[in-house]
Amino acid sequence: MSHRDLDAYLIRDEPYYLPIGEEIELFEAAYAARLPVMLKGPTGCGKTRFVQYMAWRLSRPLVIVACNEELSASDLLGRYLLEGGETRWQDGPLAIAARLGGLCYLDEVVEARQDTLVVIHPLTDDRRLLSLPSRSEAFQARADFSLIVSHNPGYQSALKELKPSTKQRFGAIDFGYPERAREIEILCHETAVSRELAERLVSIAEAGRRLKGHGLDEGISTRMLVHAGTLIRHGIGPEAACQMALVQPLTDDPELVLALSASVRVCL
Amino acid sequence: MSSPAASRTTGSTAGLGTFIRALWGADVSVEPLPNLAGAEVDAVDRRPRFAGSRIWVPSEPLPGSPRTYSEYLLAAVAHAAAHVYFGGLRFEVKGLKPPQIAIISLLEDARVERLAAARYPGLTRLWTPFHTARSDGAKTSQALLARLARALHDGRYADEDAWVAKARAHFDDPRFDWRDSSCLRELGGALGNDLGQMRAQFEAKNYAVMPIYRDDNFGLWQSKSAEDAAATEADMARGSDLDQADVDSDRDKERPAAGVPRPHMTCERAPSLRSGAASRCEVVGEPPKNHSDALSPTRYPEWDYVIARERDEFCSLRERGLELGDTERLDDALAGYRPARQRLGRFARRLADRRAVHIRRLLDGDRLDLASAVENLVAQSTGTFPEQRVYRRVRVQQEPPVLLLLIDLSESLNRAARAHGTTLLELARNASVLLAGSLPSAAPDLAIHGFSSNGRHDVGYYRFKDFGEPYDALVHSRLAGMKASFSTRFGPALRHAGRVLHQRSARRKLLLLVTDGEPSDVDVYDPNYLVLDAKRATNQNRARGVQSFCIGLDSSAETSVTRIFGTGNWVMLEHLRRLPECLCEVYLRLSA
Repeated sequence: MSHRDLDAYLIRDEPYYLPIGEEIELFEAAYAARLPVMLKGPTGCGKTRFVQYMAWRLSRPLVIVACNEELSASDLLGRYLLEGGETRWQDGPLAIAARLGGLCYLDEVVEARQDTLVVIHPLTDDRRLLSLPSRSEAFQARADFSLIVSHNPGYQSALKELKPSTKQRFGAIDFGYPERAREIEILCHETAVSRELAERLVSIAEAGRRLKGHGLDEGISTRMLVHAGTLIRHGIGPEAACQMALVQPLTDDPELVLALSASVRVCL
Repeated sequence: MSSPAASRTTGSTAGLGTFIRALWGADVSVEPLPNLAGAEVDAVDRRPRFAGSRIWVPSEPLPGSPRTYSEYLLAAVAHAAAHVYFGGLRFEVKGLKPPQIAIISLLEDARVERLAAARYPGLTRLWTPFHTARSDGAKTSQALLARLARALHDGRYADEDAWVAKARAHFDDPRFDWRDSSCLRELGGALGNDLGQMRAQFEAKNYAVMPIYRDDNFGLWQSKSAEDAAATEADMARGSDLDQADVDSDRDKERPAAGVPRPHMTCERAPSLRSGAASRCEVVGEPPKNHSDALSPTRYPEWDYVIARERDEFCSLRERGLELGDTERLDDALAGYRPARQRLGRFARRLADRRAVHIRRLLDGDRLDLASAVENLVAQSTGTFPEQRVYRRVRVQQEPPVLLLLIDLSESLNRAARAHGTTLLELARNASVLLAGSLPSAAPDLAIHGFSSNGRHDVGYYRFKDFGEPYDALVHSRLAGMKASFSTRFGPALRHAGRVLHQRSARRKLLLLVTDGEPSDVDVYDPNYLVLDAKRATNQNRARGVQSFCIGLDSSAETSVTRIFGTGNWVMLEHLRRLPECLCEVYLRLSA
């Protein structure tokens, strides 16, 4: 693998990340021990941003895979491609990360089929071995390779859960939405809205989060707040921006739309 | 409930309780006030009311409202919720005159509004348009109170009346701790005396709280009854069923003013709110009349954790026939679920969407499976044997999961569901009907069964709807006749339901239990015994390919439900009225 490949996955500029607890120390300790890490938390709370930040901080290339039901083992490991009548092996993202010694981040890992995920098992124990059956090859991951997965326990489903044999290979860090003061700070930084407006937007998010389990599967995320702040910065009125970024994407239920819209009005 | 007016009213209050939950995290129910349009009650005197966690709002727009009805409802509910959230102990009426009561109530209104607006500044914008009192208005006591309400609400409002100015100055004095509701009594008493000396006659009978979004203050004052909150709540619950005769009879005695609770007001308790007081193990009533119709019993083992083994053939379970119920009454109850039905319709469509599956690596299909085609070419190039299955097809999954909905029909289900004016049994029944009725395509794969027990020798099992049966009038009548009695022995019922599911040929078999508590029975005194037996039954079912999930209606049973079904395999319902949606959501997720 050439340096050019490595460069493609390196994060040059420091991503903005405001710690919400001890997650940086925990992650660094886990990485030092090459312990795979699972990030748990609701959607839009900053898990992916955290991984980007840690990849930058550790100066390691980062390969991100968004998992879905169609994801196959070949999608992770690699496959032969045809090029001008000849075949060429193309490493999949997991193989790339293992060869480059980077961080491989499997986002929403629970969405992938359980049989697909079994390919990570030999890579996540002390063998650190990646097997490519199509190529009749097995190799040991570079010493600085590490695997990170994320999942959202909020989508509670008895049938959509990681196998214990997969889960128990990871150390886990539990993420939640940032506490109020930090979320305001994040919003001010990311969207450049005034502090007063950021406070009001966070109040709306807090109101929306109280409806989790009362009609909403998930509350208003920090990411949604950033969207709202960005729209406001682009000249949209706060109420319209909140409708577009916070209320309408969250639900189609008329009762919930009414409740959220009214909450937006009284918070602004 | 089935009248068009009632449906409209139900629709208008929809979402308001959710709004309050979003603001304050509290579960309140918002309901329309009984419609007294035909009675001799001036609509202008009608005001919202609250008691405990229930809020009632006028069922139609009030004359003279400066804003739309929906704006009015938001303002009214937000105000009442501020009382619920920031209100302290109820004030004692003793020793106070009607004008003093009205003024103290007004001060309390201002207090809770200020506290609420400090948290949510936009609330002020909701309320301000309704403050229409003018400083050049008449100096009647009613007008002065309205002006004082505006003065305390709006710092920019100027009013030169000496009484209003004095009240405002005192309230806003930094030395006066308006945040403490106990300080209001003294100030209100003094202002009431001042009002009396001004000879501004206070007509308690004709006094109506202003502005019109504010409640009638009944929720602020103690009644004669010791359990005043519950009494008022019960009174309102009864009020929702008031017929014309009741209204006329009340009016003949004395028309209550909307804003000044009568001293020593008494409230009748609604008998329906007292039902369900029986403890979970209490055996109430006779065995079902159709007991003799029972089929021969099936015997099931029971796990005794003390001796760490199963007692063979220890429990007797009988499948019993069902009485048909009054479907008209059931239909009336379901009329209130129209919004929920719409949501369930959307669930059903999502369910259909989810069943679309991609089948890959086919010899023949609608589209080329690109990954397989490339593999085929690679194999050709490398001289290995090429795989000919290079097509894919999208089709609707032929084999949906089968679901057995098992309802705990013990006596405790007859308890009133707090703040919902109905019983847990009715909620469970309505939810089952909505689930089965909203998913006609899934009906053949859905069974609705129930159980109760009266000791280990007498576990009753009822099949309201069986697999393969369409949801028709007969099933509807059976569900309408759903009754609850006796106790809750999970083990035999779970084993029996597991056996029923095991006989189905589907790939995925789901057992969904709806219960309001932990297992208990008249012949068991060890709280762990039935829990551990149920846990074993669940594990045995799992080993046979039956996945179990539980919807709990009482959070006090969380520990035992977790022990029985395992983490992630249960959900505890905080908002009972959402049971139908929750049932469907769980079904949808388990089907995914």
